[in-house]
Amino acid sequence: MGEVSRLAIPARLEEVRHACDFVVEVAEAANLDERAVYHCQMAVDETITNIIEHGYGYEGGDSQIEIICRTENDHFLITITDDSPAFNPLEHEAPDPSEPLDTREPGGWGIYFIRKLMDDVTYDRVNNRNQLTLAKRLPAAAPLMAESGAEAEELFPTQALNGDAAAVFPAGRLDSNTSVMLEKTLNIQLQQGHVWLFVDMSQVEYIASSGLKVLVAAWRRAQGQAGDVILSSLQPRIVEIFEMVGFDMLFQIFPDLDAALAAQSKRT
Amino acid sequence: MVMEINTSEMKRVQLFEVIGRIDSTNAAELGSALDRSVDEGRNNLVLDLGGVEYMSSAGLREMVRILKRVKRGGGDLRIANPSDRVKEVLELAGLDSIFEIYPTQVEAVGSF
Repeated sequence: MGEVSRLAIPARLEEVRHACDFVVEVAEAANLDERAVYHCQMAVDETITNIIEHGYGYEGGDSQIEIICRTENDHFLITITDDSPAFNPLEHEAPDPSEPLDTREPGGWGIYFIRKLMDDVTYDRVNNRNQLTLAKRLPAAAPLMAESGAEAEELFPTQALNGDAAAVFPAGRLDSNTSVMLEKTLNIQLQQGHVWLFVDMSQVEYIASSGLKVLVAAWRRAQGQAGDVILSSLQPRIVEIFEMVGFDMLFQIFPDLDAALAAQSKRT
Repeated sequence: MVMEINTSEMKRVQLFEVIGRIDSTNAAELGSALDRSVDEGRNNLVLDLGGVEYMSSAGLREMVRILKRVKRGGGDLRIANPSDRVKEVLELAGLDSIFEIYPTQVEAVGSF
């Protein structure tokens, strides 16, 4: 049980920023990394903005919204309490991120983000007040959860290499369904500080634009952290696709994983 | 001032550079700045988010609204230089497949 920090703000939009600043400060003190801190800030912003807009209909009067932060076991917990009419955001249908532009409604994304950004969200109605608790895993706990969590089977195999490097072994067709799995796999590696990612493509039969996009996103992220995404063992069909979109100029590509690793160890 | 918007009129493109924080208190202000350009018939817009340290869904909402508007006018709203965090948020919302996103302002402007 860590120490508890508390803030109450008047239920007005211009006050939300103070809640954000408060959460950023406490989350940083709890050793969350920059990305997790951002996620907490955004989840709190979206939660409180929703309460003020929909719960109080912009007329919060003298009502206060209370934010309590604490760490418990492996989690950083943020509890947000308000006295607007009972509303459980978790019962609301989330928008679909794959929806095309013409049918998209501009709004409705707040709750979606809260759930996506946090590891767990729970709602309670306590003493005629809404109580939403947002949980973010603390850094030390994150890799463990990634390995043992329910999502474990949705990742491609990986292998930790020396220091800040890891090998990733995607397989099959990388289309819009499976690219998410590759994205998750790569993101977890990057989160764990494996900024040198050796992606062995020997088992990849096909790659769609969604798969290419995931590789580029990981490449940008890795480069931003002084690492790289290095590819090896591309099947001829994949090479063709890469050449078509000019990716052969973007990525370092090696005939096999050993060659990729050897080239890298020479450089460092 | 929490958010600052600098507008430059270029040959084929209207460029908006945003600095600061975009949230529910000022997203509408960003929206109206973009609206004014569309009202004048300028539908090719570049939004440089290089200086944006934080954006909530209120900002995304305005971006989607404007994108729909300029597309109807045969134009486009393209994004330049989002931070990793802002880019992640765009990806989470599936907006990376709806917006063209460029790593630099030059590339975004040059894409028109």
